[in-house]
Amino acid sequence: MIPDVTQQGPPPSQETIPAPTVPVVYFHGVSKSYGRIHALSNITLGLSGGVTGILGMNGAGKSTLFKLLMGKLRPSSGEVKLFGTNPWKNPSPYAKVGFVPEHEKMHDWMTALDFVSTFARLHGMTRKEAETEALRVLDFVGLADVANKEIGRFSKGMRQRTKIAHALVNDPELIILDEPLQGCDPLARTTIMNVIRELGKMGRTVLVSSHILNEIERITEQIVILHHGKLVALGNLHAIRERLDQIPHTIRLVGEDARALAKDILQHPAVFGLSFPNDTELLIQTYHFGQLHAELPGLIVNNGHKVSLIDNPDDDLESLLNYLAGGSA
Amino acid sequence: MSRRDGLPSLWSGMDRKAMAVAEFTVRQQRKRLSTWVVLLVGIAAMGVLTMFYIDAMTMDYEAIDNDMDSYDWDLDGYPNGQERLYGTDIFDKNSHPGLIDSSIVPDDPSLWINEDDFDWEALEAGSVGFDDNGDCDDESRTDSQKDQNGNGIPCDIMLVQNTYSKRYMVFADGNVDEDPDDEAYALEAIHRAFVLAIGKLGIVFLIGIFVPLFMATGLIRQEMTSGTMHFMLAKPIARGEVFLYRMFGFLAIAWTYLTVLIALLAIITGLAGPSDGFFRFSDLGVWMSVWLASLLAVMVYGMLFCMLGVMWKHGMVIAIPFAAWELGMILTTLGAPDASILRFSVVGWAMNIVDAGAALAWSDTPLLIQMGVWGGGNGPLEGAEALQFFASTPGLNLSALGTVVVSVLVMIFQAAACWLLGSALFKSKEIE
Amino acid sequence: MSENEQMAPEAPVTGQGRMDVAWGANTGDETVENMAQASTASSGQIFEQTYTPWRGTLNPRWMRNWAILRHHLLGIFRKGHRPWTMPTRIFILIAFLASLSDAGMTLLSGLVGSSEFHSLFGVSRDNLYGHVLGFFPRNVLYYPIVAALLVGSVISEDRQHGTSALYFSRPVSRFDYVGMKFLSVAIIQALVVLLSYILYFLAEVIAHGHGWAWMVDVFPMFLAGFIAGMILIFTYTSIGLSLSSVSTGRFFPGIGLLAIVFGTKTLASIVKNLFEREILYLISPYDCVAHVGQALIGTQTTYDQYSWTYSLVALVVMNALALYVLATRVASMEVTRE
Repeated sequence: MIPDVTQQGPPPSQETIPAPTVPVVYFHGVSKSYGRIHALSNITLGLSGGVTGILGMNGAGKSTLFKLLMGKLRPSSGEVKLFGTNPWKNPSPYAKVGFVPEHEKMHDWMTALDFVSTFARLHGMTRKEAETEALRVLDFVGLADVANKEIGRFSKGMRQRTKIAHALVNDPELIILDEPLQGCDPLARTTIMNVIRELGKMGRTVLVSSHILNEIERITEQIVILHHGKLVALGNLHAIRERLDQIPHTIRLVGEDARALAKDILQHPAVFGLSFPNDTELLIQTYHFGQLHAELPGLIVNNGHKVSLIDNPDDDLESLLNYLAGGSA
Repeated sequence: MSRRDGLPSLWSGMDRKAMAVAEFTVRQQRKRLSTWVVLLVGIAAMGVLTMFYIDAMTMDYEAIDNDMDSYDWDLDGYPNGQERLYGTDIFDKNSHPGLIDSSIVPDDPSLWINEDDFDWEALEAGSVGFDDNGDCDDESRTDSQKDQNGNGIPCDIMLVQNTYSKRYMVFADGNVDEDPDDEAYALEAIHRAFVLAIGKLGIVFLIGIFVPLFMATGLIRQEMTSGTMHFMLAKPIARGEVFLYRMFGFLAIAWTYLTVLIALLAIITGLAGPSDGFFRFSDLGVWMSVWLASLLAVMVYGMLFCMLGVMWKHGMVIAIPFAAWELGMILTTLGAPDASILRFSVVGWAMNIVDAGAALAWSDTPLLIQMGVWGGGNGPLEGAEALQFFASTPGLNLSALGTVVVSVLVMIFQAAACWLLGSALFKSKEIE
Repeated sequence: MSENEQMAPEAPVTGQGRMDVAWGANTGDETVENMAQASTASSGQIFEQTYTPWRGTLNPRWMRNWAILRHHLLGIFRKGHRPWTMPTRIFILIAFLASLSDAGMTLLSGLVGSSEFHSLFGVSRDNLYGHVLGFFPRNVLYYPIVAALLVGSVISEDRQHGTSALYFSRPVSRFDYVGMKFLSVAIIQALVVLLSYILYFLAEVIAHGHGWAWMVDVFPMFLAGFIAGMILIFTYTSIGLSLSSVSTGRFFPGIGLLAIVFGTKTLASIVKNLFEREILYLISPYDCVAHVGQALIGTQTTYDQYSWTYSLVALVVMNALALYVLATRVASMEVTRE
């Protein structure tokens, strides 16, 4: 080999950027118990990218899951991996994480800008950098005008947004929000939900926990359901619902003549039950939701019925959760 | 902020993180009322002690005529001492120096008070003392009267060191150094006793224990109980670092406070104490050692109490018996400074530093104590017992400088040990 | 608004009544309005609420107070009452057993029959004084620390967790609230100090078979010591409770009490050793009580430079100050979590 003597300057960069094959969040057989109370039992899941809702009642283990992920708790068994490393006694992955804890208590004597920039400096930023970033994130969450007000004077929604801002200041890849909508007024709720959706669109991994099911539905379709510490469902909300063939789906039709409508629909093999709450309303029970839903409009139109509303009253999280919880909710 | 693949180093920007946490801690502590209460109570307590000191420095000390030779027992107008000088009879009214030579005027009695002061140079076995007023070295006295301690030297004081207690015993020939200057001695002795007392007990012990107890115990624990620790721990910063930087913030306040307090006290005592000029510069050595000892003590106690707070929710409860132990230890240093049990305390090492500094700055303190305790043979002078109580020799049997170096190293080691233990405990704590 | 009704125990209790009781200086047994109606605006009714008063029988005040006292006292021994922390309970037990040391020694001297032993530990003026007011070890290791552990959280915990609202939304006046807490802390300390004192006396009677004549003879000394003990307990409790009402922390009041007791004593003894002046003992609660105790019981006084009446005045001032702070703080305590 003859060397190229005309070569000048440093060699081209040999950096290999590995493909991200490691899931951002990884749990494998993780259990956490306090004496006889099992906060989590045998959780196995991996998450990467997009907004994921962690659902469960109070005490289902959502906060425990987050604290295990953030190295605040240690699993009784199994392994937890955050960006491929074990977070227990190892704070190195936190540079890429923004964590919004559940607790209400904040340092009330600090201004919002102070709070966000002080904790930004813990990422290794200089004072100037921290302040710039702080203003940027406070603007992102809509608190730019009150940045110099003391947190003690803030409303609940503003405090939540401040917490979210402080978690975003280091431009993290993973953002964990533990019950972010708790106790917020409707305006704050909407703002925060918009923020979360924005973050999801930007390609970050966002974990949101809640037991307020309506809001989670509005943010994301990807959910994880925990109940009494066990993982009962994981995936797309609608897909989960469809998978549950054991229980009948209900389709609600509101139209002019319910009984006439019923006669025609009853012919369909997928229908196994009907009920009439009133003259104009018809509730159809079916095991084959997808199939029936696809064929229903044709049925209605071909038979010349007038229908003003087709609804799926139990294709929502509440009934899903109720069912999964075995009615013990 | 650039996005980096791979995890960034934990060590990057340590100084920025340190500044951030320390600054945050200082601001947080400043906001709390209890911080100000504790600091102000400390100043008030030291102020009360200083007021007593100033009162003692400015009051008049009665000049006591220890050998009673200013009296005129035969009422002939001539003080006993003067009569003795001329060899007249102090009990006979008709015998006085005026009869020998009529130009001899009766002395003012005050000339015969505090006229035979100490003439001791150093505290070592041997002969010291000089008869200033000539009532020992008098022709009318026999040789055996002049040499009552039997060491062959007339009119001296023999110091003998007891091999067991290491104390010096005084064997004085009569009428040597028997009428010392009470005021000069008292001022010097009380001044030194005060500096040592306030330095050792007031600052190193009282302030050194109570300020960390109130301010440092909750540095980590309070954040854990209120839930605000989550904010700090969800960052790429090691828990041991959080512990350390919180302590930095606490020390910023505590060390500033101590420095200001000690500077004030040094200035006040330097001006008010007995001196040849207007300021006692010789005391500065002692104050420097008090400063060093108190800074280190506050650091060690701070680390220790913070660690106790991390270890157990009721960590403050453990601090109480520990403080009682330290109190016992400090009383031991006053009485028996070389007891080996002092090695197991924090305050024992801090006291070594102060005592070493005092030994360097005032090399003649043992001499002063001995003189005062003997007091001319008529009982201890005022201030002697106070000085004896508060002064002690450094307990390590090294040179003064060596004592300071060893003690400083030990205390730094103690602080580091508490830090490491505290970090380890903190790292394995599960935080709800 | 409404008609006056005599507020006897049978009279109804209403929201207004509770507010009055909570904020006012009365005790809930006096006259109170019994109906509250919201005003109706002219453009239509906003809402109209009629409170139907409770027509049951309200128990007398002493019963309500007894409930509070019982809650605090039994919490030391049993679950289901005020949850004193485990370290507190354990330490109270240890302090009680340790305070019985002289009773134990007296019994032992009775068994052994040695008269030197008896004169050392048996009931005498000095030993009765020493049981209550001796500095080491009782007033260093046991009594002040028991006091500190008790007062640490007694009011501050209520302020921190907002459970004071539970008291003030009921017909319990603030004076009663504070009074019962004070009494409960004092009684628990009295169990450690005074119960062991009584047991000591009894041990002497039993061990040496003294008769009524002896008991009547010794009784004035015994009573003097008992009173001195009560003064000690009262002082520690009032200082401790005033600290507890000022702070929201769980430990600050206890440590503050110890700082006051030991810090002032240390300062005063520094001044005594340096300057031979005992006047600073007047700021030390322990020394003031000790001086008064010495005068009461008639033992050798260790404070020669001034008369015991000065100490008594200082004590009164200290207690008055502490109780004033306590009263002000509790009166202005908001019925929410502070």
